[in-house]
Amino acid sequence: MSAVLELERISKRFGGIVVADEITLEIERGQILGLIGPNGAGKTSLFNIVSGVVPADSGDIRVAGASVAGKAIHERARLGVTRTWQNMRLFRTMSVLENLVLAPQRYAGESLARLCFAPAGVHAADAEACERALGILGRMGLAQLADSAVVDLPYGQQKLVGLARALMNDGRCLLLDEPMAGVEGQAYETMKAVVRREAEAGRAVCVVEHNISFIKDLCTSAVFMSAGRILERGAIADLLASPTLAELYFGG
Amino acid sequence: MEYVYSILILVGIYVILASSFNLIIGTAGLVSIAHPIFFALGAYTAGLLAIHFHLDPFLGAAAGALVAGAFSLMISLPSLRVSGDYLLITSIGFQLGLLQVIKNLELTGSQGGLNNIPTPVPGPERGWIFSAVSLAAAAATVLVIRWIVRGPYGRAIRAMRDDELAFVALGRNAMHIKIMIFAVGCAFAGVAGAIYAFYYQYVSPEQFEILASGTMLTMVVVGGMGSTWGPVVGAVLLLALPQAITFLRLPLAYMAPLQGMLFTLLVILFLFLRPQGLVAPEAPAPLRARRK
Repeated sequence: MSAVLELERISKRFGGIVVADEITLEIERGQILGLIGPNGAGKTSLFNIVSGVVPADSGDIRVAGASVAGKAIHERARLGVTRTWQNMRLFRTMSVLENLVLAPQRYAGESLARLCFAPAGVHAADAEACERALGILGRMGLAQLADSAVVDLPYGQQKLVGLARALMNDGRCLLLDEPMAGVEGQAYETMKAVVRREAEAGRAVCVVEHNISFIKDLCTSAVFMSAGRILERGAIADLLASPTLAELYFGG
Repeated sequence: MEYVYSILILVGIYVILASSFNLIIGTAGLVSIAHPIFFALGAYTAGLLAIHFHLDPFLGAAAGALVAGAFSLMISLPSLRVSGDYLLITSIGFQLGLLQVIKNLELTGSQGGLNNIPTPVPGPERGWIFSAVSLAAAAATVLVIRWIVRGPYGRAIRAMRDDELAFVALGRNAMHIKIMIFAVGCAFAGVAGAIYAFYYQYVSPEQFEILASGTMLTMVVVGGMGSTWGPVVGAVLLLALPQAITFLRLPLAYMAPLQGMLFTLLVILFLFLRPQGLVAPEAPAPLRARRK
């Protein structure tokens, strides 16, 4: 087993607020790591640091052994860091299919030069992306919604589209930011099955989630964060059994 | 007839300018007002090459486009690297600063401008040939821009404007797209400048001041920001307006201020009453799922 994502002593503070304090973490192929902790613990901030939205003050981040520290957001994505967003951030003027077609790590239509000099290649890539997108949507039970505008979908389905777009991106490490918030019923089951299948396919998955049963069902291990620090790591049942952590999380 | 030709030539030039400005400001959302300076760069480049080297006019226009596109990087590289908002400020500074240089450089004819640009088509055929070239160039510009906006590249631009952070987090290079669109739009303005220089055989620096920025902005806003045909309608309409005022036979001194006031009034009225402009942006061609 080799670590896909490695964080080494990552620190970040905003003025007096510490969002990451010497965070060291590894996620391996096929692992689903749960990231839990109270609001404001720094879970989403950690995703922002890894994906490059916010630069770390110190420490190193490696994806498949190569350091991505100092790289721009889009470069990290091309190296395999895929993330979703709490509020989905879908392209709201577009259809489900278009959201997905724009999402591969390499999008041929992004280069005007290629469009001018090798338009056939671009259109072939477009058609291939369409095909792949329909495959992903099909597996998530969303195939019939491919041509719908994303804004017309109910919240739970928009969440699924957010995940589908991330799968289209095909990064080796998948950071899911509260995938279950506001999701229930069929979408809940789909979400769970899809995340599990992606891990089995060899992705390293990290989930920030407040839905403890989702974490329990899915995660192989978990870390508990509070005030920018990792307090505990281990099996999810052990973490929840700890009275101090339970009080930090539920009490207060 | 020469009067009609001269208006047709201006229509062609301003359709190129308004369409390319719309690509930058309307489609890509890059707020710059420096479009006239790229018009100027094209005009001066083509003019100087014709005067000193008797360069073929089509090569001259290509050189004008190239120079305008290259100079656009001087604004876009530094300002887009920081944040999109800086583009507006940098563009104003660049336009006024470069105009000062042009006004003081002997090479560009200083205050007096560039005179005696050799015309590629002398003689009585001149009017209609220039009209045809100008209108053909305008049609080509509109079609090329439409092709960019409706294809996979345009889809990327739309996604970038929907949510830039989500866009880059998927591996898309938003800055590259912005710099590219800005350069392409400015290159078109350079072509318009070359046509202008060859037709009028005279280029003076005052034509490229902020007032010209206002004119182009009015064309885009009144015509319809972000739509393919909007800037075309805007350009034709706002070229017709000054011609219409001339029929009022007002003293010449009133003309320029009156025109400025009318244009400003139009922008304000449109922004309040019809912000989408006369021609609303058409819905992009949807990407349809082809199922087997």
